[in-house]
Amino acid sequence: MRLAFRQFTSNPYTRLLGRYLKSQRLRVVGLALTLFFSIALQLINPQVLRYFIDTALNPEPGASLPQAALLFISIALITQGLTLMSTYLGETVAWQATNALRTDLAAHCLHLDLSFHQSRTPGELVERVDGDVTTLARFFAQFTLYILGNSLLLLGILAVLWLEDWRAGLSLTLFVRFAVGGLTRLLRFALPVWVAYRQLSARFFGFLSEYLAGREDLQANGSNGYVMHRFYQMLQQWLPIFHRARWAQTVLWSSSVALLTTGNIIALSVGAYLWSQQAITIGTVYLIFYYTNQLRQPMASILSELSDFQQAQASILRVQELLTTPSRLPPAGDRPLPSDALGVTFDHVGFSYDADPPHDWALQDVSWCLPAGQVLGVVGRTGSGKTTLTRLLLRFYAPQAGTISLGQVPLETVSPAGLRQRVGIVTQDVQLFQASVRDNLTLFDPAIEDGQIQHALEALGLLDWLRSHPQGLDTLLAADSGGLSAGEAQLLAFARIWLRNPSLVILDEASSRLDLLTERRVEQATQQLIQRRTGIIIAHRLSTLKHVDYILVLEQGKVVEYGPRQDLANQATSRFGRIVQRSHTVRPALWLLPCLHPTTPSPR
Amino acid sequence: MTLPTPLPLWPLLWRLICYTPKLALVDAGLWLLISGVFPAIPGLIIQGYFDALTETAPLALSPLAFLGLLVATSVGEIVALFAGQWVRTQYRFNLRSLLRHNLLDQLLQQPGAQPLSIAEGPQRQTISPGEAISYFREDPELIEQTIVKTADLIGYGLFALGAIGLLLRLNPQITLMVFLPLAVISAAVQQAQQKIKQYRRASRRATQAVTGFLGEIFTAVQVLKATGTETAVLNHLNHLNGQRQQQMVKDRLLITVLNSGFENLTNLGIGFILLLMATGRTSATSGLSVGDFALFIYYLALVATAFRAFGQYLTWLKQTEVSFERLRALHRPDSLTEHRSSPAAAAFALVAHQPLYLAGLWGRQPPLPPLQPPHPEAPSHFKELAVVGLSYHYPHASRGIEAISFSLRRGSLTVITGPVGSGKTTLLRVLLGLLPRQTGTIYWNGQPVEHPATFFCPPRSAYTPQVPHLFSDTLRNNLLLELEKSDAALGEALRLSVFAQDVGAMPMGLATLVGTRGVRLSGGQRQRAAAARMLVRQPELLIFDDLSSALDVETEQSLWEGLFATGQATAAGRPTCLITSNRPAVLRRADRIIVLNEGRIEAMGRFDELPSLS
Repeated sequence: MRLAFRQFTSNPYTRLLGRYLKSQRLRVVGLALTLFFSIALQLINPQVLRYFIDTALNPEPGASLPQAALLFISIALITQGLTLMSTYLGETVAWQATNALRTDLAAHCLHLDLSFHQSRTPGELVERVDGDVTTLARFFAQFTLYILGNSLLLLGILAVLWLEDWRAGLSLTLFVRFAVGGLTRLLRFALPVWVAYRQLSARFFGFLSEYLAGREDLQANGSNGYVMHRFYQMLQQWLPIFHRARWAQTVLWSSSVALLTTGNIIALSVGAYLWSQQAITIGTVYLIFYYTNQLRQPMASILSELSDFQQAQASILRVQELLTTPSRLPPAGDRPLPSDALGVTFDHVGFSYDADPPHDWALQDVSWCLPAGQVLGVVGRTGSGKTTLTRLLLRFYAPQAGTISLGQVPLETVSPAGLRQRVGIVTQDVQLFQASVRDNLTLFDPAIEDGQIQHALEALGLLDWLRSHPQGLDTLLAADSGGLSAGEAQLLAFARIWLRNPSLVILDEASSRLDLLTERRVEQATQQLIQRRTGIIIAHRLSTLKHVDYILVLEQGKVVEYGPRQDLANQATSRFGRIVQRSHTVRPALWLLPCLHPTTPSPR
Repeated sequence: MTLPTPLPLWPLLWRLICYTPKLALVDAGLWLLISGVFPAIPGLIIQGYFDALTETAPLALSPLAFLGLLVATSVGEIVALFAGQWVRTQYRFNLRSLLRHNLLDQLLQQPGAQPLSIAEGPQRQTISPGEAISYFREDPELIEQTIVKTADLIGYGLFALGAIGLLLRLNPQITLMVFLPLAVISAAVQQAQQKIKQYRRASRRATQAVTGFLGEIFTAVQVLKATGTETAVLNHLNHLNGQRQQQMVKDRLLITVLNSGFENLTNLGIGFILLLMATGRTSATSGLSVGDFALFIYYLALVATAFRAFGQYLTWLKQTEVSFERLRALHRPDSLTEHRSSPAAAAFALVAHQPLYLAGLWGRQPPLPPLQPPHPEAPSHFKELAVVGLSYHYPHASRGIEAISFSLRRGSLTVITGPVGSGKTTLLRVLLGLLPRQTGTIYWNGQPVEHPATFFCPPRSAYTPQVPHLFSDTLRNNLLLELEKSDAALGEALRLSVFAQDVGAMPMGLATLVGTRGVRLSGGQRQRAAAARMLVRQPELLIFDDLSSALDVETEQSLWEGLFATGQATAAGRPTCLITSNRPAVLRRADRIIVLNEGRIEAMGRFDELPSLS
């Protein structure tokens, strides 16, 4: 018993507990007090019983049986009240603590680098952040109430038995010692089984949420059958693991049954022996039996809580693993960026998504320099490294070779918060939340006022769209891009950036889903956005690049051409020059896409 | 239909139980023993022991003999436990897997582009995939737990009846005066369980809000990182957490009031027995020996447990009702063929018997069925597709499509074009049954198509959406989705979708892991992979939604050239394509252009025929 207790206090689990309980000291103390008193009362009641039996068999004058009965009843009622109190306190403490843990976990995950997120489905992460922590909530609550409380009750019972007769006390103490030791050892062998079970569970739900999100693709390509096939496969994998986990549980359960019977037998044989020696009354024989039976409840509780503790241990292990997962990025610095417009410099930058060892370079020996306040247009085929460039600029990944500097400050020394504030990006993939339009635009930042939001929507031509929704900014967007067309979603993403007011703006193929009319509106807004800022625009279309100052042409991760746009456009032999010559400048319908396509030569 | 009609819970549970009748029977038998018979025996043994000790026993056995009997009972119980758990685990897994299977089946049947939603009264509220998962996780487990507890409950019931009968023979007065109030109090406490359903619903909703939001955070992680708004988002999470905490504590408290109430009933019962014995000393109570007293207390504890189990069971039943209602709410009736069948039909679909291919008790695993292509019968050779009066409106917006009519012939290239929000994607989705059409008919070779969702599949047609979904699996599995195609066919699809070079450049080639939502590929690579996925199925009708957006012009050019060049070489002729695009180059190639504006067809014809284009 003491060994188990020592195990509890010294291992990292209780450190995890302690950290989150410190802020609720008062409640924890209250909890301890109510537990203590309810245990004391539970020890007193059997004494009343013994008194009753002995007095009933050998009536003494002045003994009052009805009063003893009433005492018994009132103690039972008070115990009830204390139980309720301790539950309330225990649950509140547990939920408060685990909510803090949940937020910490989510925060930690968000701060991890992108490579972490790309190798895990969101469904899996939710299962880990919420599923595992909910198991922990039960553990935090039930641990105190049941394991701790019941352990104290156990010790109390043994103490009282020692006081009755040392032989009873000794035999039952030895029994409890052996029982608890044996059970905890059995528990340890069952733990890895539960870890495996929870892992498979997380994978299963990750798989489900992925396929539910991709129903459109699956249905139209006739692959619903494939999903069910994978489902059957996962079930087949799951069943044997479930059996193993349950079997481990059964071993524990039946061990407890065996031990309890053993306890009863010990109690009854000691009782019979002492009775034969005339050392105790029949009431005491019953008392010993009653106390031994009182051991059943705390031991059963401890057992079931310990098996939940097993699952909780599995969760704790996974939570700790998550918390200690380091970010692949080297630690950032904390230098602020210069407060005026930022220039961007890439100095012999090399990057590969595969870390150890790097091969298949996404960017190789990339060097260019964009002066502050200028706009760069990046051109290249798909997969040539344009998006990778932006990810490096946002420090989602760190380059394996070379340095990137913003405003002459090397990126690895800049504080992440400062970086996010000053650099803004609009991508093709717009993520929307199932929340109000306002929350989607401000990303839950309450500091941004409605006036600013209206101004942003107006500048981007979204005011009509907003007015078509009667609830305006409070309109709740449904899940999965709630009813917005891809173009509208794109404009919303633009509004987000507009509201953040960054110094460096990156537009990654941002206007490729828009028709020309909408694109014109965005173009005007873009012009205003990049007026006194530095900008990097990645696009396929010439019109998007009409107003940039510099052009960078990438091919297979290498810089093929770099220079001022005017110069390159005028040189017939430059790559960009050739692209410009082939451009289609006549645009009859406002919403057609002008493109870098060789058709009729433009009248120049 | 304004109010949801209550579900017939027992028929539903019975249908589930009948899924594995043998397992159900063996499980019931074993657990009847474990919960009904085995607990009763030690009480009698203890009674005998005490009577032997005080020499008031009718039997002349020594106390130690009784202890031996105790050992024997325990051994029997352990054996029964192992057998029982083994059977029960198998049984429970079958049940919960059946529910999950049917739920998944139902959800996959819904139109693919319509977001998942739950029925809340007359309205429907959309839910994210993250929230949908909470339905898969907890509710099936809750339902199957109730079923297995039924067997336990019958065991407890038998025991309680037997015990009370025995005690009545010993001393009817005490038995009645103690057990009757016990039963009455139990029943009264049970009434308070009404509150539980409300609290459960509230706490489930609060949990859903948290898990849904967490799912969205992790999906949008790139955006959040880029904008540095993690703190604000986490504050919102805290807020949701706090709301959930309130609900959960209330929930737990109520349950504890009811549970601990039952526990203490035992003590109160003992107190009453003492009181009755103390006050009724001179009447019939004086016939009780210590053994009888011990038996009373032993059985009192167990009968109280049985009553509590019964009460808990009723709670479980209520929660099961809630779970069935939740699962039923996910089902969306077909809007066109609004079958007025009872809402219970959806619930019965959840418990329909379907094969699960699970291993049996002895570990023998049945082989999985081979993947059936969606249309095993020979496809009717496509000649013409016609659409008449098609319309659909999104539920909470004024947008959609209205009165769309057009036709296309085999081998033609039809391009749908128009400004942002004019309904191009909506049209494709309604045609393919990914959104439920509200009016209109679709004709394939002159025959009306009743269910476009199941009709428009390979080899008739295949689809590449505007934002394709790829799954965290190898590239090969993403393309084939376990379709049986030769390597040559796959290679051809890669060539046609201008993806072969990219695959060649990947060190692991087709075995490359694509990552969640295909994020390890660039946007253009993802679209081309989706195109390859479509092309490898060799459909008669190719449907692309806005392929242009993630491809540069040169790549797109190669794609069209390759596609049409192939067509001319084969006997099948040019492939029939239906695409949306705003690129003039593509519009020039088209045999017919459909110009949409605000959901209606504004013009139709070839490029030179349309004045607004040329």
